[in-house]
Amino acid sequence: MAYIRKRNRSIFLIFLLPAILVLFLTTIYPMLYAGYLSFRSYDLAKPFVPRVFVGLSNYQNVLTTGDFLHALKITFQLMAITLSIQLFIGVGLALLVTQRLPGMSIARTLLLIPMMISPVIVGLVWLFLYFPELGYLNYFLSYIGIGPISWITSPDWALWAIAIADIWQWTPFIMMGTAAALTSLSPEPYEAAKIDGNTRWQVFRYVTLPQLKPVLVSLLFLRAIDAFKIYDIIFVLTKGGPGDSTEVLSLYIYRQSFTFWQMGVGAAASFVSLIIIVVLITFFFKSLNRDPMQS
Amino acid sequence: MKSLRLTAFASAVTITAATMAHAKDFDGVELKMLAIGDTSVTRLAPIVDEFEELTGAKVQIDMFPYPGLIDKIVIEASADSPSYQLMWVDSPWVGVLGESGALEDLTDLVKRDAEEIHLDDILPIQLQENTWQGRLLAFPASGMIWHQNYRKDLYGNADEQAAFKEKYGYDLAPAQTWDQYIDIAEFFTRKAGETLAGEALEKDFYGNAQAYSRVAGAITHDFFPIMRSFGGSYWDPETGLCAMDSEAALAAADVMKRLVAFNPPDYLGLMWDIRTGYMERAEVAQSSYWSVRTVRLTNPEEAVLPTVGEAGYAASPTGDGTAQPTMTGALSFGINSKATDQEKEAAWEFIKWGTSRDMMRRFAEEGSGVSQFYKSILSDPDLQEKYPYYKVLLETQDNARRRIFHPFYADVEEIFGVELNKYMAGETETAEEALANACTKINTRLKVFPEDLRLRWINDAPAEIFN
Repeated sequence: MAYIRKRNRSIFLIFLLPAILVLFLTTIYPMLYAGYLSFRSYDLAKPFVPRVFVGLSNYQNVLTTGDFLHALKITFQLMAITLSIQLFIGVGLALLVTQRLPGMSIARTLLLIPMMISPVIVGLVWLFLYFPELGYLNYFLSYIGIGPISWITSPDWALWAIAIADIWQWTPFIMMGTAAALTSLSPEPYEAAKIDGNTRWQVFRYVTLPQLKPVLVSLLFLRAIDAFKIYDIIFVLTKGGPGDSTEVLSLYIYRQSFTFWQMGVGAAASFVSLIIIVVLITFFFKSLNRDPMQS
Repeated sequence: MKSLRLTAFASAVTITAATMAHAKDFDGVELKMLAIGDTSVTRLAPIVDEFEELTGAKVQIDMFPYPGLIDKIVIEASADSPSYQLMWVDSPWVGVLGESGALEDLTDLVKRDAEEIHLDDILPIQLQENTWQGRLLAFPASGMIWHQNYRKDLYGNADEQAAFKEKYGYDLAPAQTWDQYIDIAEFFTRKAGETLAGEALEKDFYGNAQAYSRVAGAITHDFFPIMRSFGGSYWDPETGLCAMDSEAALAAADVMKRLVAFNPPDYLGLMWDIRTGYMERAEVAQSSYWSVRTVRLTNPEEAVLPTVGEAGYAASPTGDGTAQPTMTGALSFGINSKATDQEKEAAWEFIKWGTSRDMMRRFAEEGSGVSQFYKSILSDPDLQEKYPYYKVLLETQDNARRRIFHPFYADVEEIFGVELNKYMAGETETAEEALANACTKINTRLKVFPEDLRLRWINDAPAEIFN
């Protein structure tokens, strides 16, 4: 028996080996190498810059210059805008598409399309819409006497322009998850609430929402991780500008690594953002595991 | 007559034989070029088959937008086995590519083939643009200056002239100072419905279009020529540190800020091509930019302006109207130093072919010219009539200075791009603060290097090809 168990373990290991190897080569090794780089001065474009161990100076550089903190602030601003609006619209759409109304299945399919498009394409689509002189958005707004608005070239509008594109793409994700949860809710609490003479709002507020909370927290958690790493749409639409009004963390890391070629500083910034995201995950997990009745 | 025919035939046989001999040299050689999708390459790309017919070497040109191209080139240069043997080089990149040994030194090849390539006929500053520590690392394919383009038809309109004189007290003419330039920009900025040269405007008309975008440091490409026109320098000659926060730099930032009001509303997003687009569509009165795209203003197939008006060309204005060295630039072809010897020889043949005087004349005569760098072409009266800006290109380069060529150019372009853009957007309150921020960031990077190295990096040693 022990022999069979030992043999099975060997077979498991053989089958697992390719996956472990791929994981090591694509995830673990790059991460270890990035960690190694974060303690070194390494300029890819300038081989004449000495590649030496610099201790924590790359981390010090990241944490003491205002640029990183500014990028962090913009990232959280964008997350706050997009997540709150996506949650609000996503839940509303989910309530709508789960109604027994004609055309809802078609609407559900159409609403899912943005989520399936590559973020770069989404960026390009919105670039055409926002384009100051030739964009459709300003063209239509001109008919109602508004604009033209410098959507992506004004520091007042640029972050909102990115948020709109992100909301357009990812609200269906919240809608889809919420709709799935809504269809699986048990009918008893609703019948009880109906007998008690509650209004539709009271039913939603005190029956539906508490039941949806774990799902909504999970959806928000997944979206938060994604929003924290947002890059493609901003790269296409504003590249962090105007000024640095849309420079999020990913763009900051990109600029350090592939514009200034300071690979060490870029690696250190990546690790700092990894720590932030781990703290964020821990926070979300804790709130997810909290008993909804107690809270 | 018979002997003449015989001589002609013998010559033809000799040329064919020579060509066949060449074909043997590079038969089977395949070259790839990492390049930009702009006139210095787009004119050549459709006819590379002719080079293959001549030499046997096959050339594939991959074209990319300017933003991000240097990133690709740096990555390519850091690879041990290169994919690209030929590289398109913007002259400010020679510092970083030169110091890292990414480009083949062309000095000896140019000296060897000086007669064949008509070295004496090339504007010397255009060759100097491509040198690093005196060694030639790339060969010009398009020679540029930064100059002003204006609406000659509007400037010549009697009503506009009278109105301008009445308002500003002097004649309407291409600006010689930046104050005049701003006056002209203000004068011509008009709303839809107002009159321009006797006709009601259907849409807003702008006095000026400059590049204010931070993307790929586009704003710096206008800021630095203006700074230079005030007599400013990039570097402190005593320390090799940043001097781009000088009085001249502040004056340049002030000019750009004052011009904001007369630019299109999306000015913060104006890249080079979007900005030139306004001039090409005849939607602005003036715009100063690199001559590489000026040729489009002469071609009705590429611009609206030649069909509705006429473009005029003049040297860049200066601070007080006294002459300052013209800011030049070169868009060039270089050879990857890691290519094999045979590939390098074939690549040099390609460069000679693609940048030859005959090729440049052919482009000019076909109407799809590039910004030229051969004196004989720029001074040709027929071509000057066809391309009036040739005269400006030729005359201004008698007194010219090259662009920045420092190994930290990419840092300068990006950092100043962001800081200037923030100032123009109103995120930074003063030009002093913006430029001081930028210089501090640059100096932080530079101060880790010894002073003698910093001074070597800013030393513009004369090109050894002339020795």
